[in-house]
Amino acid sequence: MTMTGSRRRQMGWTAVLAVCITTFVVFSVTVHAVRNEVVLADRAIVRLKIKQQRLETEFQARANQHQLAHWNRVDMGYEAPRADQYLENRRDIAALGQPVGPGAPSPIRVARGEAAFADAGAAGAVAGAPGRGRREMISPVTGAPVTLAAANIDEVPGTAFAQAFGDILIEASPIRQAKAQTGTGPRRYKSEDAE
Amino acid sequence: MSVTARAVGLAQPGLFDRLPDLSGKTSLTDKTGKTDGLAPIINRDVAGASNPFLQRADARLPAAARPQAGRVNLMEMRLRLLLCAQKRIIWLILIFAALALVAMVQIAWFGIEGRGPARGPVSADLVPPRGEITDRNGAPLARGYPALSLYFYPEAMGGDGGTPLVRSAAEIARELKAIFPDLDESKTARQLADGKPTFLRRRVLPEDANKVWSLGEPAVQTPEFPDRHYPQGKLAAHVLGRVIEDERGVSIGAFGMEKTLNARLSDEKLRAAPVALSIDVRVQGALEDEMGRGMKAVQANGAAGIVLDVDTGEVLAMASLPDFDPNRISPQDKDNTNNRATYVTGELGSVFKPLTVAAALDAGVVNDLSQSWDASPVKVAKRSFKDHDEKGARLNIPQTLAYSSNTVTMRVADALGGEQLRRVMLELGMDHAPEIELQARGQPYWPRGKWSKLTTMTVGYGHGLSVTPLHLANAYAAMVNGGIFRQATLLKVEPGKANPGKRVFKASTSHRMRQLLRMVAIYGTGRKADADGFRVGGKTGSAEKLVDGRYVKSKLITTFASAFPMDRPRYVVVVTLDEPKITQATPGRTAAYNAAPIVGNLIRRAGPMLGVRPDNTRDVDISDLRYLVEGRK
Repeated sequence: MTMTGSRRRQMGWTAVLAVCITTFVVFSVTVHAVRNEVVLADRAIVRLKIKQQRLETEFQARANQHQLAHWNRVDMGYEAPRADQYLENRRDIAALGQPVGPGAPSPIRVARGEAAFADAGAAGAVAGAPGRGRREMISPVTGAPVTLAAANIDEVPGTAFAQAFGDILIEASPIRQAKAQTGTGPRRYKSEDAE
Repeated sequence: MSVTARAVGLAQPGLFDRLPDLSGKTSLTDKTGKTDGLAPIINRDVAGASNPFLQRADARLPAAARPQAGRVNLMEMRLRLLLCAQKRIIWLILIFAALALVAMVQIAWFGIEGRGPARGPVSADLVPPRGEITDRNGAPLARGYPALSLYFYPEAMGGDGGTPLVRSAAEIARELKAIFPDLDESKTARQLADGKPTFLRRRVLPEDANKVWSLGEPAVQTPEFPDRHYPQGKLAAHVLGRVIEDERGVSIGAFGMEKTLNARLSDEKLRAAPVALSIDVRVQGALEDEMGRGMKAVQANGAAGIVLDVDTGEVLAMASLPDFDPNRISPQDKDNTNNRATYVTGELGSVFKPLTVAAALDAGVVNDLSQSWDASPVKVAKRSFKDHDEKGARLNIPQTLAYSSNTVTMRVADALGGEQLRRVMLELGMDHAPEIELQARGQPYWPRGKWSKLTTMTVGYGHGLSVTPLHLANAYAAMVNGGIFRQATLLKVEPGKANPGKRVFKASTSHRMRQLLRMVAIYGTGRKADADGFRVGGKTGSAEKLVDGRYVKSKLITTFASAFPMDRPRYVVVVTLDEPKITQATPGRTAAYNAAPIVGNLIRRAGPMLGVRPDNTRDVDISDLRYLVEGRK
């Protein structure tokens, strides 16, 4: 059986048309499927966003400003930073790294027993901050001086050592004992004379 | 025709089954006499045959074949029957093909058109039923949060005419009352008996919801319902206000910014975007905390505080104590909803003295700050006024402010003249309620008509004119920012969009006032507010309260109005206390003992949050005035 040219063209066009339509339908269905996936993903995002909002609200409610202020004052004992705690420029920052000069106070202060510094006023003068002095440990709740249990124990392990070699070696030791004591020093929150 | 086709279709299996047995009987049962076609089968009742299958089968035989029932005829008949069956099968196939085509077209159409499970923009689910309110940095102050509610849904039991409740309405109301003690039992019983869906109660705790479930009433439900929640609790309660639900359960603003912004928050198109207030929660928290502590220390009845941006008029913080929790309004909280910062007016006293001095400087009445003024008691209209704390027979202007001299201020006001002072006060908006977005705005007491000598003198030091703390904050902002008066606003102002305002004081006057206010904080009554490194300047004011037309010496309204940093003022802070008392913590009753320390503590805490770093190497230059006060010391 022979086919004429026009018949062949006709069949060719039909085939092309069929392929086009099939491809079109297949693509359309694929696009639709992807679009549905996008919609589902979108919904999942919305769900998560709503969840996130709820969690954020809960967080905000639990950590509200009143609560934070209470924690900061009572639990943490935080205070607003003072002016001298701010560094103005690069020169100030660079000054932090300067080698400690002779007679300069130790840049890092640690809590230590009264035995090492009997005179709080002298310690203040050494620290270069007259008036502030060495702060005694106080209760963050009441502001009253605190006595640690360690302060009442006479026979601490270092005592015998100190008796044998004197305070000099204890001073030289990098490890210092934390030992607060009931205050004879100046009250920290002494009310100033008001006008 | 369709009837025929259906009948044939039914008969078809019978036909094929019985074909082999028909051979000998067909010719005998012929009664219709019809020769061919399908028509006879509808006449089967006429034929009266008991078996329609047999009758139909023989009716199809051609007339010629019937008398001689041979094998050939049988074959022919079989062929015809097969042909007929094939035709029917083709019909069936065509019908199924058509159905399949329809299905295919539909699937293709879905594929092309793209409908299906998608419906509308899904982001619409994120739009809250009522818009969110945030602070200036986006921290949420009021937002929707689902809460459990107690809902009566009669259809839960089927709604088929039976009773929606298992037990009687009164009994259930009684049991609900046991769970919620403040429930109106009779009203609830009525609502349950009515049988209409309704909210019995909002904001039910989860544990209470569990108790409700254990009642075993399907019609009493606890669905989640969007509710208004204030995550920060009492914070800025007077600014935010609260919402109430209307009968449809929709939240509407009752007062505060919730009411002011009600249209905006409930607008379908706008509510997706949150509204940013000018409040900063950190500063607001610090203000409320410091005010609360200061108020407790002096056992004051109440307190008000404002932190205002001098360049834009934005209120960074506004607090009024005692406060209330908008999440849970209790009956005793009702009295606390008055906003003392914008609504409660009072004579604020000496904090007006800098305004008088500024007006006098502006008008040229005071040219020389070193000029000394008579500080002896003033006698006017048969009354005598003297200084609270006499510092000498003659005082110059810096001393007048630092020591808060009533007599010199009265003389300055008198020299300035009633008309001039009145004009300045008018320009500062002291004659009408403060302009801010809240509804709670107090109408000041404003002396009407032409001011007499006495009125001028008393207004000069803050008496005879009662205003709100917000009036004062606005006036101080104008005094230190270069002389521009702006209305305060609770809405965030975008950079560069600030209200241009109007000039009230000359810029030179404003510069002088910065120096003078700073000197009050260094040498005068404001020393307790002088936060280290923040260059605070301000003025104290302690006014006796007017009770039944008489000033009561023991009842004061103490105010500290200040601005910082004075070398380039950015914020005004005003704190007012109502009836502070002498306590162990404070040996005095005046503002220097109670209001000023609150401001000092607040600035220490909130200054860095507001972008002002404490710096001891900067300050406003007071070298040309310092000697005027220090010489006295």
